[in-house]
Amino acid sequence: MAERKGDNDQASAGVIQVVSFKLGNEEYGVDIAQVQEIIRLVEITHVPRAPRFMEGVINLRGQLIPIIDLRTRFGMRRIDATKSTRIVVTEIGSKKVGIVVDSVSEVLNLPIENVEEAPEMIAGIGTEYIQGVGKLNERLIILLDLTMVITSDEKSDLETLDTGALAATVS
Amino acid sequence: MSDELFDRSEFISYFRDEAEELLQQIDAELLKLEDLVDASHTDPEIVNSLFRALHTVKGSSGMLGFSDVQGLAHKLENLCDLLRKDRIPLSEGCVDILFAGRDLLTDLVAAAINGSGPPRGLPEYSARLDQFVAVYEQTAYLIEGTAGEGAAALATSESEERTIAGDVVEQFEAEVARLLAQAEAERREHPPEPVTPVDVAPAAIPAPQPAEAAAGTVAAPASTPKRASMHQTIRVDIDRLDTLLNLVGELVINRTRISDIANTLERLIADKALDSSSALIAPLTKALADSAALLARTTNEIQESIMKVRMVPIGQVFDRFPRLVRDVAKARGKEVQLVVSGADTDLDKTIVDEVGEPLMHLLRNCVDHGIEIPELREQRGKARAGMISLNAYHEGNQIIIEVSDDGNGIDLEKVRARGLKQGLISVDDRLNDRELIELIFTPGFSTAETISDVSGRGVGMDVVKKNITRLKGVFDVDSISGGGTTFTIKLPLTLAIIQALLVRVADELYAIPLDSVIESQRVEMPDVRTVHGSEVITLRGQVVPLLRIADFFELGGQRDPEKVMIVIVGLGGRQVGLVVDSFQGEQEIVIKPLSDVVGRIPGISGATILGNGSISLIIDVHSLVSDAYSSGRVARAEYSGV
Repeated sequence: MAERKGDNDQASAGVIQVVSFKLGNEEYGVDIAQVQEIIRLVEITHVPRAPRFMEGVINLRGQLIPIIDLRTRFGMRRIDATKSTRIVVTEIGSKKVGIVVDSVSEVLNLPIENVEEAPEMIAGIGTEYIQGVGKLNERLIILLDLTMVITSDEKSDLETLDTGALAATVS
Repeated sequence: MSDELFDRSEFISYFRDEAEELLQQIDAELLKLEDLVDASHTDPEIVNSLFRALHTVKGSSGMLGFSDVQGLAHKLENLCDLLRKDRIPLSEGCVDILFAGRDLLTDLVAAAINGSGPPRGLPEYSARLDQFVAVYEQTAYLIEGTAGEGAAALATSESEERTIAGDVVEQFEAEVARLLAQAEAERREHPPEPVTPVDVAPAAIPAPQPAEAAAGTVAAPASTPKRASMHQTIRVDIDRLDTLLNLVGELVINRTRISDIANTLERLIADKALDSSSALIAPLTKALADSAALLARTTNEIQESIMKVRMVPIGQVFDRFPRLVRDVAKARGKEVQLVVSGADTDLDKTIVDEVGEPLMHLLRNCVDHGIEIPELREQRGKARAGMISLNAYHEGNQIIIEVSDDGNGIDLEKVRARGLKQGLISVDDRLNDRELIELIFTPGFSTAETISDVSGRGVGMDVVKKNITRLKGVFDVDSISGGGTTFTIKLPLTLAIIQALLVRVADELYAIPLDSVIESQRVEMPDVRTVHGSEVITLRGQVVPLLRIADFFELGGQRDPEKVMIVIVGLGGRQVGLVVDSFQGEQEIVIKPLSDVVGRIPGISGATILGNGSISLIIDVHSLVSDAYSSGRVARAEYSGV
C-alpha cells in the first residue's frame, strides 16, 4: 500500500481512508479519493459484445458511465439486485467507472501498519486486483486496485472510441 | 503597471483574441477604402473605424509593454489621422502602404505574443512610412497659409527634398496645388467655421495635431461616429457548454418525472382511488400539472438555446477571404471581384473552424486557375474583372457552400493530358467528363504548368476533398469549359447532433443515423428467401441481404414468425436490410462517445441520452455491415450476381 502512487495526507499520517462495501460475505475497500459518489441502482443499458463483466452504461446527470459488475468480474455467482445494491462511482485518472456492489458499509480509517500484502489466495479472486488486506478489529478488508479492475487481459483494447467512424455517408 | 500585479498570460490571451478581431476589421476597412481610390475622396466612416481599431491595438499593446506593436500602431494611426483630415489624398500608394503596415502589425503581434524577436522589415517599413507621411505633413503647414509658418515649412521641405526621390517631390507639388485649389474653392463655398477636433470613442485622440483649424477642409462630421455593428460577445470554453447541456438533460428527465407524478395523481382522482374527501388534493394536483407543463416549456427552451450557442455564423471564416482574393489576384496580375453572400448562415463552431482551410484552397484555385487574365477575358467578350462568388445557405439539416467563378472552367483535355503524363490513366481509358473531373482529386495532381507560390503544388484538391469528407460533407464540382467552375460543399450543421431513426430490438432502443438509411419496410416472411442459408429479400429487382441485429449483438429475443421489419441501409453502393423488432420514429440525437473503458465495439459508434433519460446505443452502420460480411453472417448474394 505504501508504495502506491498518489498517497494522500492521511497516508503520510499513517492512516488511509477507504470506502468499504460487501460482496457476499467478504468486505472490500477502495481509496476514498477514488470514489466520486455512491448511488442507488438505476437502469443499466446493456452494451452488446462488450467484455462479459461490462454490465452496460448508465446516465449519470447526462454523463455516460460504464458499469462493471464486480461479482462477474471476480467470477462470483451473480445475484438479483436487492434494496441495498449500490453503484460506487469511481474516478480513476480521467476515467469514470461505476461498480455494482451488494451493499456499501461505511468509510473506515485504516492505520497503515494494519495493512498487509495480499495473501496468495483469497476466495478465488485473482490477486492482481488486490493491493493488500487491512485488519480492523476482527474484520478483514480486501483493498482493491481499481486500475486493475477496469483494465485486464480480458479487455486489452483501450483504444479511444472513434465517434468519427459513425455512419458512413451514403451519397 | 508591474507584471507581478496581474496575471499577464490571461491578459496576453485576451490581447491576442482582441488583436485578431481588430486586424480582421482593419483588413475589411482597408478593402473598402481601396474601392474608393478611384473616387479620390475618403469616407470618414471608414477612416474613423480604421483609426479606432488602430488606436485600440496601440492602447492594449502599450499596456502589455509590446512597444514594437504600439509604435507601429501609432504611426499607422497618424497616417489615418492625416487621411481623415484630408491632408493626404487617398491614393493606391497610400492604401498599399496601409496594407503592408497591417501585415507587419500582424507579424509584430504574433512575435510579441510568442516572445520571439521582431520580424524582419520593421525598420525598412518604418522608414518608408515616415517618408511617405513626411511629404504630406509639410502640406498641412502650407495650407495654413500663414506666411511665417509656411515659409518655415517650406524651408524644412526643401531640406527634405534632398532625401526624397524626384517623383515623390513632383507628386508632392501636384498635391499641394490640388489641395490649395480645393481649399480655396471650399472656402468660397462655405464660410470658415470653427472646427472641433473629431471626438472618437472610446478614448480621446492623443495623436499630434499639427494644424488645428484646417479651415473647412475637414470633411468629417464632428459628431460621434456610429459604433460599428460590433456584437457584444464573450468567449466560452466549449466544455463548459457541454456540462451545461448535460445538466439541462438532467433537468429534462426530472421534469418528465414530475409530469408523470401529476398525471398519476390526476388519474387516481378520476378513478376515485384517492380519498377525495380532502378538498385540497384536486386543486393541488391541477397546480402541479400546470407547473410541470411550464417547467417543460422552459427546459426545452433552455436546451435549444444551449444547442444554438454552439452555432456561429460562417461569416467568421468568410471575413478573411476578400483580402486573400485581392492579394492572390494582385500577385497574378488578374482583376477579380469577390461577391460574398449568406455570411450569417449558422453552423457548429467545430465545423466553422475546420472549413476555412478547404475554402481558402478553393478560392486560390479559382483566382489562379479559373479566372483568366484581363486581356484574355476581353477577347472572350467577358468583363475585365472576373467574378468569384462565395455563397452559403441552409438546406434542410445541411449547409451548402458554393464557390463559383466565371473563368475558364476546367480544361478537360489538359486534365486528360496531365493524367496520361502522370500515369493516372492510360490511353485506352474511355473516361467521361465526370470521371475526368474526378481526376483532379487525385493526390499530386496539378494542371499548372509552372509551380507558383499560390497553387500548383498539387496539394490542393485532394486535400480539399479529404477535409470535406472528414467533416461528413459531400464535395462536388461542376464546370463549363470556358464558362466557369462551381464547387459545391454540403456539410452537416453540426457533428454533435444527428438525425436518427430509433428502432427497438429485443427491448433495447437503438439509433440508426438517418444519413445511412434508404428506407424502412415491413416484409412478410414468405417473401424472405435464403441464399446459402442466409436470408435475403428482393427489392425492386435487387437482391438485398438481411442482417438480424438481435443475432449480431447476441441479444436473443423472439422472432416474429409472420413478418420482418427491415431498415434498408446503403453503404458505398450496396444495400443491406437490418432486421429490427419495430420502428420508433425519427429523432435528433446528441452523440456521446462510449467510455474507452468499454472498448471498441463493432457495430456501435456511441450512445445518446433520450428525452426521458434512457440511453440508446448508436449503430455504426459501416462497421456493423463490414463485420457481418467478414464473419459470414450476411449473404454475399449481390456480389456473386445472384
